[in-house]
Amino acid sequence: MTTTPERTTPDLTWLDDVTMTELERNPYPVYERLRAEAPLAFVPVLGAYVASTPEVCREVATSPSFEAVITPAGGRTFGHPAIIGVNGEIHDDLRSMVEPALQPVEVDRYVDELVRPIARQLLEQFEDDGRAELVAQFCEPVSVRSLGNLLGLEDVPNDTLRDWFARLNRSFTNAAVDENGEFANPEGFEDGDRAKAEIQAVVDPLIEKWTKEPGDSAISHWLHDGMPEGQTRDRDYIYPTIYVYLLGAMQEPGHGIASTLVGLFSRPEQLEEVVDDPTLVPRAVSEGMRWTSPIWSATARITKEPVTLAGVDLPAGTPVMLSYGSANHDTGDYDAPSTYDLHRPPLPHLAFGAGNHACAGIYYANHVMRIALEELFEAIPNLERDTSEDVEFWGWGFRGPTSLHATWEV
Amino acid sequence: MPAIRGADREVECPSDTPVLRSLLRAGVWLPNSCNQGTCGTCKVRVLSGEVDHADAPLDTLGAEERAAGLALACQARPCSDLVVEPHGAPGDAGRLTHPLRDVVGTVTLVEEIARDTRRVLLALDEPLAFDPGQYVELSVPGCGSRRQYSLANTADEDTVLELHVRRVEGGLATDRWLCRTLAVGEEVEVSGPLGDFVLPSEEDDDGGPMAMIGGGTGLAPLVGLARTALARHPERELRLYHGVRGEADLYDVDRLRALGDDHPGFTFVPVLSDEQVDGVRHGFPTDAFTEDVPKARGWSGWLCGPPPMVEAGVAAFKRRRMAPRMIHREKFTPADAAGTSTPAPHVTQEEVA
Ligand code: HEM
Ligand code: FES
Repeated sequence: MTTTPERTTPDLTWLDDVTMTELERNPYPVYERLRAEAPLAFVPVLGAYVASTPEVCREVATSPSFEAVITPAGGRTFGHPAIIGVNGEIHDDLRSMVEPALQPVEVDRYVDELVRPIARQLLEQFEDDGRAELVAQFCEPVSVRSLGNLLGLEDVPNDTLRDWFARLNRSFTNAAVDENGEFANPEGFEDGDRAKAEIQAVVDPLIEKWTKEPGDSAISHWLHDGMPEGQTRDRDYIYPTIYVYLLGAMQEPGHGIASTLVGLFSRPEQLEEVVDDPTLVPRAVSEGMRWTSPIWSATARITKEPVTLAGVDLPAGTPVMLSYGSANHDTGDYDAPSTYDLHRPPLPHLAFGAGNHACAGIYYANHVMRIALEELFEAIPNLERDTSEDVEFWGWGFRGPTSLHATWEV
Repeated sequence: MPAIRGADREVECPSDTPVLRSLLRAGVWLPNSCNQGTCGTCKVRVLSGEVDHADAPLDTLGAEERAAGLALACQARPCSDLVVEPHGAPGDAGRLTHPLRDVVGTVTLVEEIARDTRRVLLALDEPLAFDPGQYVELSVPGCGSRRQYSLANTADEDTVLELHVRRVEGGLATDRWLCRTLAVGEEVEVSGPLGDFVLPSEEDDDGGPMAMIGGGTGLAPLVGLARTALARHPERELRLYHGVRGEADLYDVDRLRALGDDHPGFTFVPVLSDEQVDGVRHGFPTDAFTEDVPKARGWSGWLCGPPPMVEAGVAAFKRRRMAPRMIHREKFTPADAAGTSTPAPHVTQEEVA
């Protein structure tokens, strides 16, 4: 051998042409190329580095040289201190605030009684119709009603909660920046601002009530738990994390249920197996999360010191976006990753993130999705996809089917 | 190296490797999500053996749970051979059941009841406890083979076992023995009871409507199940379908019709697939069910017969929206995680030897 190849920088000029619209329609082709050519790469339209493989995502999410940071559009939407973007004592305090209700021991105590009646009641409304649009009639309502009741928002209708997460989502993922790093569509945040004003109009009076008379709701506990007698956490301190919940925690179990169903519909024999044996539901959900990860690319970390990773030198203070939805399609870990397969070798996936900012709601969310699907298959074991309607997935930050039409014999 | 048994597979597990990893590597699935001990999805119950909980946080796995034998599979390292099962997965582990016994039965009746079909009664020296719908194994004399036959009895008929036997051309047990040489007075070695084709416990049986479909001598266990179900709830709706080829294959028609005299909710429906006979339904019993019952939500179903009939029955029940967990049939046990299945011994038919 006569030449030793230099460390060559791959030619990534093709990334200059990538648009937000393209990523939201279908991020997979761009990320497939990133995984092959540059698992850690600067993506101009996002104005940030992107980690696209399992190895690099895991390293960024768990390395002590990195800490959490919220994406610019996320920060513009949620404000400070949102649990996903803070570190040290504030993060510890916010985790200690949200975790008690999400602890496995605690979830086991309430989750069945919370979710099963909600799923049943929704099914009763359409099970004899022989057709339904499952995203709007089942997946999203199970998700928002369950968490809404847990949080203490019993009086907020399903459709309002669905509307809130959709508008916060569009604001949070309004990520495009121009060549100066400024938001390319600043007007894209305005509707999110209006949604937050509506949220405050509903939640402020509840906070006032729970401040005086502590209740059993999660938000009431957030106000009081761990605080000295007679003191509560300030509402401005908890609102950013309330928005984290009203977006991700409200939306994602619905995405997860719907994606799992689309995956199963693509494998009718596997759908049949799961319908016949409900103990397979958790496995079906796990593969659904891998196949179309609901939080596809929404969180980030930032270097605390200069770091060299995947052949890239990152100065201190460089944000890196975690594209877990891409990592879960890595061919190093998964054969034919874009195929839904209940029986693929069951490797751990990254759909719930990693490190000390990994999802706090894993156990709860998995049970919500499981119970919803158990009840759906129990009520409608002859469920079929309505093939006269297309299924379209949308989203880069958060991803799932926009609608899912089903039919069955009644 | 310690071995772990989970999901009926034995897996070698290095003692420095979390139990979950070893199982997953061997293709044995356990629910898991975070793999860092924080979400609790991977909880298992350690049925035997010792684990080191390693870094499992107390928040995820409390001291009480540890004391109760739970572990986080993603954290726990084996200190010895282990048997584990997923926590919270529905399963009958630990359910009390009638002990399996070896008894001797004396043939008291051999009766031709239909084409190539005999009823055999075996008197036992002492009663055998079983649940209606279960089966026994008979030792075929002189060859060491065993064959399974369902009991047509109710639980209180525990001293004389009733079996329905259909002759299989060239069959080791039926053609050479049960349907040929078997005679009153002969002693037969019997093991049982076996199987889980049974009714819910009496407390859990709310008297809901039931559909039962038997093909050929697959009728046998349904005779025990139907009589038991009606004794528990005399008014309940119960539709029993018996599918056979021709009129000559039907048996016990009067006996079953008579059940309807005391039980207005009971209907017996014989169905002939190969013959058109006035006053008898024609076709497949599973189709007869879908014709008769527009909606089976809230019903439970029992299927016994040749595998294609059982599969057709499952489809028919689901088409009428019977909940899959309410559908009872021959169980197929997964042989390995690749998803292939091997059929459990079929209790009403015999393989040709
Ligand atoms: C299928 C549904 C869900 C999925 C796929 C999901 C996924 C995720 C992901 C990928 C993250 C970021 C992890 C990282 O940056 O490494 C996250 C964060 C988080 N999730 Fe979830 N999540 C789901 C449901 C929920 C629910 C229902 C709740 C609450 C009830 C919840 C609470 C949280 C919290 C509090 C965080 C922030 C954790 C932190 O920054 O410390 N999630 N989730
Ligand atoms: S997989 Fe989350 S605790 Fe083990």
